Amino acid sequence: MQQSLLEGIDPEIMDEVVSRRDLFRRGASMSRMVAQGLAMGSVPVALAALAKDAFGQAPADVLDVLNFAFILENLENEFYKAVLGTSALAAQNNAFTTVRALIPASARESLGQIQKHEQQHVDFLKAVIPQFGGTPAAMSAADFDFTGGNGSGTGPFARATTELNFLLVATQAFEDTGVRAYKGQAGRLLINGNNNADIALESALRIHSVEARHAAKIRRIRRGINPTDTTLRLSGYVRGGGAAAAGAGNIANPPAEVVAALNAIYGGATSESNTQHVVFNGTSAVTIDAATLSNLDVIGDSTARTNAATQAFDEPLTKDEVIAIVRNFIKDDAARGLP
Amino acid sequence: MHKKDGDQDEPMVIGSATELMFPATRRSFVRTLLAGGTVVMLPSVFGACERREITIPGYDGPTDGPDPVTGVSFDLRSDVGIFRLLHANEQLEAAFYTAVVSSAAFSSFTADEREVFVDLRDTEIIHREFVRTALGSQALPDLRGSINMTTLNSILSSKASIIASARLFEHVGVAALNGAGKYLQDARNLLVAGKFASVEARHAAALRDMAPPAGVNANTSFAGDDIIDGTGRDVKLEAGAVLAKLASTNLLLAGTLAAAPISNAPSAAQGVATADFFPVNP
Repeated sequence: MQQSLLEGIDPEIMDEVVSRRDLFRRGASMSRMVAQGLAMGSVPVALAALAKDAFGQAPADVLDVLNFAFILENLENEFYKAVLGTSALAAQNNAFTTVRALIPASARESLGQIQKHEQQHVDFLKAVIPQFGGTPAAMSAADFDFTGGNGSGTGPFARATTELNFLLVATQAFEDTGVRAYKGQAGRLLINGNNNADIALESALRIHSVEARHAAKIRRIRRGINPTDTTLRLSGYVRGGGAAAAGAGNIANPPAEVVAALNAIYGGATSESNTQHVVFNGTSAVTIDAATLSNLDVIGDSTARTNAATQAFDEPLTKDEVIAIVRNFIKDDAARGLP
Repeated sequence: MHKKDGDQDEPMVIGSATELMFPATRRSFVRTLLAGGTVVMLPSVFGACERREITIPGYDGPTDGPDPVTGVSFDLRSDVGIFRLLHANEQLEAAFYTAVVSSAAFSSFTADEREVFVDLRDTEIIHREFVRTALGSQALPDLRGSINMTTLNSILSSKASIIASARLFEHVGVAALNGAGKYLQDARNLLVAGKFASVEARHAAALRDMAPPAGVNANTSFAGDDIIDGTGRDVKLEAGAVLAKLASTNLLLAGTLAAAPISNAPSAAQGVATADFFPVNP
């Protein structure tokens, strides 16, 4: 794959790429802006300058992924601000007044830390996208409907504004959607021999693992409130797939649309319950079933081994799957660049 | 694959005679010789090792145990080499958690803490066996014979040191995957690495939440300001730094992993190195 990609490139361009890289290594091509960025310890400035120095323009795939991530990060950020009562829009804050009073102080502090990261992700992407030749979508608190009603304000997730368990399921589902979305897009950033893509990929992976930390913490908060629900692993894992993997048993009579959403969030073409994974060993692609490996006896019986095999791998969602999940939370999808 | 000037600068290291059984190693061996390069044969290639009775708590292999190995090297210019690095990490984690769960100190853990550590053990065993299977003949040897029992027993002596070590291992795991992804050349392998990475991040968060490092706010420790930078990005280490961290734990006997410069850096064609970001006390 890599070879064919590189072989397909004009040798003169390759020479240019290589010489630029050599310059890079020596630091000779480091522009004043990169140097200033590094000196200030400002990663976005240095990163952005570096990207521009290298090629000026990122491949369309990289920009598309960054724009997509920007929309998702705005959704998460504005959601937490509304929950915590720090949204710029009073109506969003007011919607969550009832449930806000039910959140324990310790969990509120944890949600505050998560919101801080989502804001940082928004700011980071906003700073980086223009340097890759793009324009970040203009988004504000008014663009979102956290009830999943596509603007009606009365969608199937409306109970998240009044019930703590419901709110936390929705929060966990947002985070796990984020984890799965980044995982699904990482491959599009893998463009060997492209500095821009390398930098975007590393940043995406580093944001991806932060989202996983958030999801793990929400699960632990939920388990603390519902100590007997062992679906909510204290290790923060996703065990199994579909709505069952959400651990939504503590919600009375969940609306069918919410169950369907959770099925989509923890299911999909590659469900979280998947145990078959493909590796390319340099010669051929090999599918390995993680549930039937050797030397698993210490784990226990076949149920224990299957549980371990599903929780040991988080799975991706495709871009289309993610869009189908989030579209009802974002008003005027088409205008937001969503199909 | 990406032949560049300087490829032959570093000696090729043959850590064990069996490495020469692998076609790729043999080819590289012959090529290196033809090119006038240096081949280092570590003593273990010729020295017969005494088999030893295995004494690792919770060890689940044959009773006579694997031999200690030396000079395990990583050619990080291929996906296989990067997966070998991952294999080293997963082997250490699996051996560590297996030992923790069967240690005397484990009985002093709360039920909640035990649940986490059993989940961690099970997951790391799956990871270890998955990577070993994926690598096939290129897999690392069993490193359990190379565990430094003095270090392991010292860690296992208290709950506090067990959890602190677990936090370190998980953060090295997250940082390694976050740093190595850009060097992988095949999207399928990147996807598998991503599937591991978020799981390791869940571990890391759970362990920090369970027992925050000294001075870290318990409610924000899962993703504290000491491990997430000002742009909301997680820890990351370049491969060489990962090897140094693994070596610095002293959980492996000296000489198990080959010393630099034997561990090759990924080639420039694979990706651009970036600054490491890792706390002193994760």
